[in-house]
Amino acid sequence: MKKKYSGIEKKLSRWGWTFVTPALLFFSLFSFYPIVNAAYTSLFRKKILSLKPPTFIGLKNYAYLLRSDDFWNSIRATFAFTLGAFLPLLVVSLLLAVLILSVKRGQKFLQLAYYAPAVLSSVVAAVIWMSIFDPRGLGNQWLNFLLNTPGTDHKWLADSFMVQLSTILVYFWKYIGYFVVIFIAGLAAIPGSLYEAALIDGADRWQSFWRITFPLLKPTVVLVSVMAMLQCLKTFSTQYLFVQSGSPQAPINVITLNIYNTGIRDHMIGRSSAMSIILFIIMLFFTWLQFKTTKADEVSY
Amino acid sequence: MIKQKFSPLNVLAGLILLGALVFTLVPILFMFSASMMPAKDILRMPFRWIPRGFHWQNFAKAVAGNDGSFIFIRNIANSLFVSSVVTVTTVMLSSLTGYGLAKFRFRGRNFVFLAIMATMMIPFEAIMIPLYLVATKLHLQNSYAGLIVPFLVNAFGVFMMRQYLLPFPEEFLDATRIDGASEPGIFWHIVLPNCAPAIATLSILTFRSQWDNLLWPLLVAQSEKMKTLPLYIVKFAAEKYTDEGAMMAVAVLGSIPMLVLFFSMSQYFVSGASVFSSRKG
Repeated sequence: MKKKYSGIEKKLSRWGWTFVTPALLFFSLFSFYPIVNAAYTSLFRKKILSLKPPTFIGLKNYAYLLRSDDFWNSIRATFAFTLGAFLPLLVVSLLLAVLILSVKRGQKFLQLAYYAPAVLSSVVAAVIWMSIFDPRGLGNQWLNFLLNTPGTDHKWLADSFMVQLSTILVYFWKYIGYFVVIFIAGLAAIPGSLYEAALIDGADRWQSFWRITFPLLKPTVVLVSVMAMLQCLKTFSTQYLFVQSGSPQAPINVITLNIYNTGIRDHMIGRSSAMSIILFIIMLFFTWLQFKTTKADEVSY
Repeated sequence: MIKQKFSPLNVLAGLILLGALVFTLVPILFMFSASMMPAKDILRMPFRWIPRGFHWQNFAKAVAGNDGSFIFIRNIANSLFVSSVVTVTTVMLSSLTGYGLAKFRFRGRNFVFLAIMATMMIPFEAIMIPLYLVATKLHLQNSYAGLIVPFLVNAFGVFMMRQYLLPFPEEFLDATRIDGASEPGIFWHIVLPNCAPAIATLSILTFRSQWDNLLWPLLVAQSEKMKTLPLYIVKFAAEKYTDEGAMMAVAVLGSIPMLVLFFSMSQYFVSGASVFSSRKG
C-alpha cells in the first residue's frame, strides 16, 4: 500500500514539473538570457549592423558612462522625474483614499472616476496633455488665472524646468487613481472595531489615523512605494512622445530614452547594455533599500 | 469609521475630493469635446466645453491619416489582435504554471517559484536590446510573432493565479483523480472554470498593458503595416499637418475599446489594482 502511494506522489510530482516547464523555458529565454546577455555585452564594444566582431573592452563602457555628461544628465532627469512623481503620488493617493472612506455616499463613483485616467494608454494621456500645454491652450489659461498673470506663456513644453514638470503632471494624472484603489483595498482590510475601541478611549480622528491606520497600513505603503518608484524609474512613453513632438530632449532624457537612442538609433549596443545594467542595479538597490528601511513585516489584526 | 456630521474638516475633505475629481475628469472631458471641434475652436478663449456641433472631419482625418492611407485601421486592428492573443496565452500559461506551483509537490518547486518571481525585478527596458537581437536572430522582426512572443506569460500572472489557487480544496482534486480523470483534464475542466474571477482580472490587466505597449513595437515593427496603435498615435502627433482636433479624434478612437471594457467590467479593473495589497498566502 505504501509503495503504491509513493507511486502516485511521484506521478503527481512529474505532472507538477510538466505544468511549470513551459513557463520556465519561456522565462529562461526571454528574461534570464537577455539580462545575462546584457551584462555580457556591456563588456564589449559592439555595434548593430557592424561586420567587425565585437571587441572585449572590460569595464570601459562603464568608465565611459561615468565620465559622460550626457549619461549623468540622464541620471539626473530620471531622479528628478522619480522624486517629482513618486512622492506626490504616494502622499496624495493615501490622502484621497482616507478621505474617500470617510464620506457616506459615492465611494464607488469616486474610486472609478479617479481611476479613469489609468484606463487610457500612456500615449493618449501624453497627447491630451500636449494639447492642454499648447501655448494658446488651457494650461496657460488656468495657470494665468491662478497666478493672475494674464497673457503669459509658461512654455510648458519648451522651458527646461516646465517640460519636466509637464511630464510629471501627465504621469501623476494617469496613475493617481490606480494607487488610490490599492490604498482603499489596504484600508478596507483594517477592522472597524479598532476605530470604535479607539473612539471609546477618547481618541480623535487625527490620533486614530496616526496610531491605528498608518501602522497597520505599513505593508501597503511599502508595496505602493516600491511599485510607484520602480514605475517612475522606467518611465518612457511620455518623454518619448514629447521629444518626438518637438520638446527639448536634454531635460527629459531619462535613462530608458537614452538606452533606446544609444542602442537603436546610434547602434552602440555595448554602451546601451551598460546603461541597462546600471538601471537594473539602481532598481534592485531601491527595492532592497525600501524593504529594509521600512521593515515590511506582516501585521496581524 | 465613525462619521461626524458637519465640521470645517469635513468641508475641507469634500473640497479636496471635488478638486481631485475635476483634475482627473477634466482632461478626459477635454479630449471628447475637442475631438468634435474645428482646431480654431479648441484654442479659443474661453474654451467651450460643450461643442456647438459635431466636426466630423476630425474623425475622417484621424482614420484616413494625413496621407489618406487609412493605415490607422490596420494599426488599431494590429493592436486588437496582438493584445487579444497575448491575453489568451498569458491567462492559459499563468493558470497552468500557477496551478502546478500551488497544487503539486515536487523537488525544486520553491526554487522554480522564486526564479519566476525574480523576473519581476528585471525591467523590460533593461533587456529590450538583447531581446531585439534575439528577435532578429529568430527572424521575428516586423512580424506578429515578434510582437507577441516576448509577452506570452509574465511573472505577475503566475503569482496571481498561484495565490488564487492555494486555498483550492485538495480533496476535490483527489476525488476527481480517483474517478479516473487525467491531470490535463482536471486542469481544463475543474481548475480553469473555478478561476473565472481571477482570469477576468488578469485578462483585463494583460490586455490593457499590451494596448499601452509602445517600447517593444517601436523596436520590432518597422513597416507601417505592422505598427500598432501607440506607434500610430506617436507618428500622427509628430506630423506637422495634424491639427489638434484630429489629434483628439485619434485619442478618442484609440481609447474607445478600453473605455468600453472599463464601463462594462469596472469591478475587475479595481480588483486588478487591489491584487497587490492582499496579504501573501
